[in-house]
Amino acid sequence: MKRILLACSSGMSTSLLVTKMQEYAKSIGEEAEIWAVGQDQAKKEMEKADVVLIGPQMSFLKSELQKEAEKYGIKVDVIDMVAYGMADGKKAYEQALKLMGEK
Amino acid sequence: MNQTFEKLSKILVPIAGKLNNSRYLQVLRDAFMLAFPLTIFGSIAVVIANLPFLDKVMSEGSLNTLREILNVAPNSTMGVMTIFVVFGIGYYLSKSYEVEGIFGGAIALASFFILTPFVLNVEGKEAVQGVIPLDRLGAKGMFLGMLTAFVAAEIYRKIVQKNITIKMPAGVPPAVAKSFAALIPAVVTLTVFLVANMIVTQLFHTNMHDVIYNAVQAPLVGLGSGIIPTLIAIFVTQILWFFGLHGQIIINSVMDPIWNTLSLENLNAYTKTGEVPHVISKQFIEVYTVGMGGTGMTLAVIFAILFFMKSKQMKQVAKLGIGPGIFNVNEPIIFGLPVVMNPLIIVPWIISPMVVTFVTYLAMSSGLVPPPTGVAVPWTVPIFINGIMATNSLAGGILQLVNFAIVLIIWFPFLKFIDRMNLQKEREEETAKNAS
Repeated sequence: MKRILLACSSGMSTSLLVTKMQEYAKSIGEEAEIWAVGQDQAKKEMEKADVVLIGPQMSFLKSELQKEAEKYGIKVDVIDMVAYGMADGKKAYEQALKLMGEK
Repeated sequence: MNQTFEKLSKILVPIAGKLNNSRYLQVLRDAFMLAFPLTIFGSIAVVIANLPFLDKVMSEGSLNTLREILNVAPNSTMGVMTIFVVFGIGYYLSKSYEVEGIFGGAIALASFFILTPFVLNVEGKEAVQGVIPLDRLGAKGMFLGMLTAFVAAEIYRKIVQKNITIKMPAGVPPAVAKSFAALIPAVVTLTVFLVANMIVTQLFHTNMHDVIYNAVQAPLVGLGSGIIPTLIAIFVTQILWFFGLHGQIIINSVMDPIWNTLSLENLNAYTKTGEVPHVISKQFIEVYTVGMGGTGMTLAVIFAILFFMKSKQMKQVAKLGIGPGIFNVNEPIIFGLPVVMNPLIIVPWIISPMVVTFVTYLAMSSGLVPPPTGVAVPWTVPIFINGIMATNSLAGGILQLVNFAIVLIIWFPFLKFIDRMNLQKEREEETAKNAS
């Protein structure tokens, strides 16, 4: 079971990508829990996640979230801009897997 | 060109991060969010009380009764908004320092009341003692409220953190222990405000409300209600988004206290007289800039692409963007078209919101279209509907359609140019594929 947390300003625009990522994970037969939250909840929700991806418009959150994520030994990265804009579930999902693999 | 953008981006990202993570701005944001559900409740009542056809189906007497009943809702929410903001700041600031939030909120509120004169001055009549003038708890007291709450919560948490508290032995119920723990910090904080109030009232024969209102609030709000500062705020928001940064999160946390105060003043005047004093307000910004498909008013861009452009890549982005775009979410366009770091788009991206804002301002200040009444409209309400709701007039929606056309015209040549480039690229890829 892979648990992927997405964060943006209010969790609204990233939820679009969440659906696409879930669809992709399902299509390759992987079990994954993917959910989106606003920046305020990101720190709290982190403990339930294996990896955190942030919307590119909130890229300035990275260093702050990174600090928190180190406590749980997980990675934080900014979602690739093009993947984000095109709601490319496959690309974003693969980005998450890659980050988890580097653990 | 791209290198210059990258360099600028490297400067902007840390600044944006600092502003976004600033403790005070974060607390301020949360405190206004605390009042949000209440504001919506009050707004619904104002909308119902001012439905345009009511005077045709009801007698004047029963309409007045209905308004009397419904106006309680805005009066007890937006009318006393400063109370909620003061409590919210006290609570969230204390919480951010990991000290007991609820006492922080209560102490902030008490400090604010200490500075509030419990006297009502009516011109030409004797002052009424023992009442709290309502306007001091609404828009007029907003800036003093915010300042007081921040100072009070800071003093309170410092004393708690220095551990100057009464500690109860183990076994005492936690609620009792907590209230004793807050005793010394509360007494010290409130004493500071009591002394401050004493100095201002006894030595200078005025009160803190009038001092802050005249020295801080009136000039700042006056400045914020002008068209030039508004255009600057929009310009900076667009620039930030151009670099892929969430512009509103950064600009609004600075401007919201001013814009919200203007809205409250508008709503107060509107429920009392039906007139609106300020053109610029929170709703002006939300409904007439963001409320047209998202930042940069991109619903018009999506339409232009769907109806007039041919390249596959653009069509795909537009199809993806139309659903969320109707509800003013436009990240697909910003990152997919893309707008971010795209030198071909920077011109319409920055120019069109500024032109549209200027047109809206002219239309409203000339009286052609009524300005927003101060009724809160959630930012996800679609174009046209949100315009009518915000201004309580069909003209408000029609103005948005005019604005929509302006955005479309400004963007069109730029989109056509990109479309032609994309088509050429797509054709080349096609021939390359066929050749191999």
